[in-house]
Amino acid sequence: MSTRKPVRIRKLNTKTALQVLREDQIDRNEYDSLTTDAQIATGVESNEEQEIHLQAVLKGAGASTDNEIPVPPPQESDVSYDELYSTPYIEPRNYIRFSDTVEETLGSLYDMTTEDEEYLKTYNAKRASKLSDDDFERIMELFEMTASEQTPYAAVDNTIVPYEVMVQHMAHSPVVKLQTHTKQVYEYWKTRRQDNANKPLHPSLKFETHQEHDDLDPYVCFRRREVRQTRKTRARDVQIADKLKKLRRELEDGRQLVLLSHQREVLKKELLNTERFLFEHRAKLKERKVRLGIKADDEDLLYNTKPQKRKISEVQHPVRGAPHQRLSLPVPRESRAVEQDLVQLSDKQKEQYAEFFRDIESKAQHHRHWNNGHIDLTERPLSPVKEEQHQNFRPAKAVFLPTPPASASESMELDDEPVSTVMAPKRAPSPFVFNGADESESTPTYRRRVGRNGRLWIDRRHCRLASPPSDTETPPQSDQCKYDQDDSEDEQAVYHIDQYSTSAMRFRTTIPAPGHRYPRGHVADANAPAHPVAVSRPALPPVPAPAPPQPSNHAQPQPQPQPT
Amino acid sequence: MSPGILEATVGSDGPRQKNKATPDTLRVGCIAMVEKDGQARRAEILSIKDTKSGRQFYCNFDNFNKRLDEWVPVKRINFEQDVEWPNPDKDKPKDGKNKQGATAQKKNLSKKIQKRPGKREQSVTSEAATPNHPWSEFVDSQPQSKAPSTPRDLESKAGQTPAAAGDEMDLDEDENTPDIKKEDDGFSREAEIEKLRTGGSMTQNPTELSRIRNISKVQFGKYDLFPWYFSPYPESFTQEDAISVCEFCLSYYADLKSFARHRQKCTLQHPPGNEIYRDDYVSFFEIDGRRQRTWCRNLCLLSKMFLDHKTLYYDVDPFLFYVMTQKTEKGQHLVGYFSKEKECADGYNVACILTMPQYQRKGFGRLLIQFSYELSKIEGKLGSPEKPLSDLGLLSYRQYWSENIIDLLVEYNERDERCTIESISTALAMTTQDVEHTLQALKMQVYHKGEHKVVLPEKMIQAREKARSKQKRYIAPERIQWKPPVFTASSRTWGW
Ligand SMILES: [Zn+2]
Repeated sequence: MSTRKPVRIRKLNTKTALQVLREDQIDRNEYDSLTTDAQIATGVESNEEQEIHLQAVLKGAGASTDNEIPVPPPQESDVSYDELYSTPYIEPRNYIRFSDTVEETLGSLYDMTTEDEEYLKTYNAKRASKLSDDDFERIMELFEMTASEQTPYAAVDNTIVPYEVMVQHMAHSPVVKLQTHTKQVYEYWKTRRQDNANKPLHPSLKFETHQEHDDLDPYVCFRRREVRQTRKTRARDVQIADKLKKLRRELEDGRQLVLLSHQREVLKKELLNTERFLFEHRAKLKERKVRLGIKADDEDLLYNTKPQKRKISEVQHPVRGAPHQRLSLPVPRESRAVEQDLVQLSDKQKEQYAEFFRDIESKAQHHRHWNNGHIDLTERPLSPVKEEQHQNFRPAKAVFLPTPPASASESMELDDEPVSTVMAPKRAPSPFVFNGADESESTPTYRRRVGRNGRLWIDRRHCRLASPPSDTETPPQSDQCKYDQDDSEDEQAVYHIDQYSTSAMRFRTTIPAPGHRYPRGHVADANAPAHPVAVSRPALPPVPAPAPPQPSNHAQPQPQPQPT
Repeated sequence: MSPGILEATVGSDGPRQKNKATPDTLRVGCIAMVEKDGQARRAEILSIKDTKSGRQFYCNFDNFNKRLDEWVPVKRINFEQDVEWPNPDKDKPKDGKNKQGATAQKKNLSKKIQKRPGKREQSVTSEAATPNHPWSEFVDSQPQSKAPSTPRDLESKAGQTPAAAGDEMDLDEDENTPDIKKEDDGFSREAEIEKLRTGGSMTQNPTELSRIRNISKVQFGKYDLFPWYFSPYPESFTQEDAISVCEFCLSYYADLKSFARHRQKCTLQHPPGNEIYRDDYVSFFEIDGRRQRTWCRNLCLLSKMFLDHKTLYYDVDPFLFYVMTQKTEKGQHLVGYFSKEKECADGYNVACILTMPQYQRKGFGRLLIQFSYELSKIEGKLGSPEKPLSDLGLLSYRQYWSENIIDLLVEYNERDERCTIESISTALAMTTQDVEHTLQALKMQVYHKGEHKVVLPEKMIQAREKARSKQKRYIAPERIQWKPPVFTASSRTWGW
């Protein structure tokens, strides 16, 4: 419309910063000539874009909005609105939350028509017991619901649900109380359905019937959306074929497994029968021997007890896909004969243990030899601590492993691993098991820990029963303070002990037997607190007990230089 | 396609045979000169019926929206002038000559076929005389004050633009392919004609039916509404003078007793969903189409009467409905709504939008649109309404867009700051495309001295001042209690 000079206009980038000016801030003429006047996409269908009224409004856009698109105007209705909508509305304080469906909010889904009303009027006129509107609707609703369930194609095949079926459905509904009326109402319902081409009495929408003419019919609405189908490709076909093949294979494997299991059981049965046969014959033989007075060796009875060893694999179960099950190989069998053919796991274990203990023994020997000649000069035993047994202290009853000299430095490392008792099964008497004091009573406990500057500490403690022979509480207290100062060697705490008091004697009995396996200088001091040990020598009873680094105030620590 | 020159959209599918007609020979598909608002306009005859007061013709007027279609008596048709007869070469697309047809995409073309299949055989002459016309009953009762003759229609109210009306819901392609197929399959016109001749119950083939308004009056709440377009209510309703629709559950009734009975039982007083917004003027409810299938279907049927491009082809499950209501002592009354796809691949924030006719021209459309953008802001997305827009939809959106953009630009101007399209887009949750289109439509985007500039026209600033003084209502975003709903993969895959 406005004359437009051909100006080359760069395309506008959405990120370009644009100057924003009022119309009065630029030259009027320039504005007029430069305004783009291109046709703008409106988003309205092209044939509607040209409609007179729309164009009139669009042309006036921004200016006086004098033009309007005319529409058929609504009118105030002459219905009695207040009667139809009689319930007053009370708005809740909070935002409404509501999820009931329309059907759920309605009592009965059948609404009586004018025709029904007339029928009911005449029906009730003849009767003493009146049928109310609500009850009539309930009955009709039931008929309609049952009809739509039982005869979904009623309009096509013109089937009518017989009254007997209706009665069955009534049994489960409150309508059952209205049975005096149902038969008559049924007849009425039937005629109404017939008049209505056997269609539902309420006018209903047209839904799709999946027939050709559906698409042309503008009344067919609210179609279901097709679920997206996975596209058929060759790759997908191959994938599916592979899956099927795999499934087939696995099923075949399963079948084989069952077959072989069956075979195995049959063989087992045979074996049992044979063994029983054998046993019976031997018993007879023995009997006969006894009767005949043959006093020969019974070896002939056992002639087959040591047959040639068969290969293990031969007796393995044909279990597939579970190789780990082979470990649980020795299935309990009654037959000793067969058992003897097998290498037993327990045999293997015994062998291993034997070997293991030989090794330990040799190391112990070595250790003893090494310690030979050392004298333990511990003289001033510290009084035992009264406190509860601390967690960090390990009972000395545990296995005392030798400290291999070669790995002495390693043993310094604190580790949390518990003492391995597996190494010393009960059957095999370990040379290191402490058999002294009763476990439950006064087990001496030890712990090892590393102090400042990497000093190694061996803390030792007795449990409650091993109370000190002292008569007062003071000695332990003074004892506790003993190491409060560094190098308080001079002031040794002196314990006054009555050597012959029963408590002292009893205490002494709790002291572990001296020098088991380890030669010690002062046997009487065996239960003394840890001794200063020569650097050249590792700690005597090397307790591989884990210990937290923080010193416990219940413990009596004693500095021990760390062997290197 | 310059806006000044209007092209004929009626009967524009090629040269037609022209000669005189009489009321008896005039038939469906003919184009005649019909008087409309005192002027003679070209009009296509879409349907014919005989009433007590004489023969009536359903006319679609050239370059008038379909909502202005009407039944006209013989006296309004000018038989002095030649009548254009439907082309007999029915299957040959003749749109080439028409600019609009030439530029139309396949989609539009198919739509056109759907809308204008009326190239009938010359031999059909008997249909006009069919006695059992489906429309005859309601047409008789059609109030004389209807669309064309309402003086109020054309009265202009200064300072107001019509409120929102709708746009297409979705899937034009899907919807229309069957129509194309129909043509290809050689939709048996002869058979159809034969059927018409013998049965006499139809004047249109099925697709033409949807071109004609089928419900004449809707009693809804306090109002009588006069539908604009076809809506697939039960077919028997087309014979009714009026239907009643419950204001709260939107159930539809032809029988007055039924409706009255329903009203006694109906307990709904607000849309059956969660209220997500409330101020002293309006409330918004969020309704899940899957959960509230009946209610949402009812809403779609109702709104289809006022939305030409809405399709009810598919079910309501994949949509959420945001329903705006206004409170009275009777309940929360339906003012308008917009639907939104639960998962929209194209990023539309509105599928369908409608202000009920009794609430139009009161600024509710702007509130609906604002609300849709407020939701987009909460989602952190840019939104745009689904296309095509209706005429009223376009105007409402243009108005909302321009008001908001100008507000922003005036601030930029006052701060003497530059702005980018993107910053406007982000601030308003509008797509950059919509921002640009609006700037162009308002002729605000200029190219001057080698750079793009935005110019605020004086009249826009004045209009803004004027609008401000009117104290329009707005949605208060802080009152929205809403989180973007999340739908599980299974509900997306199998839910619809
Ligand atoms: Zn209701």
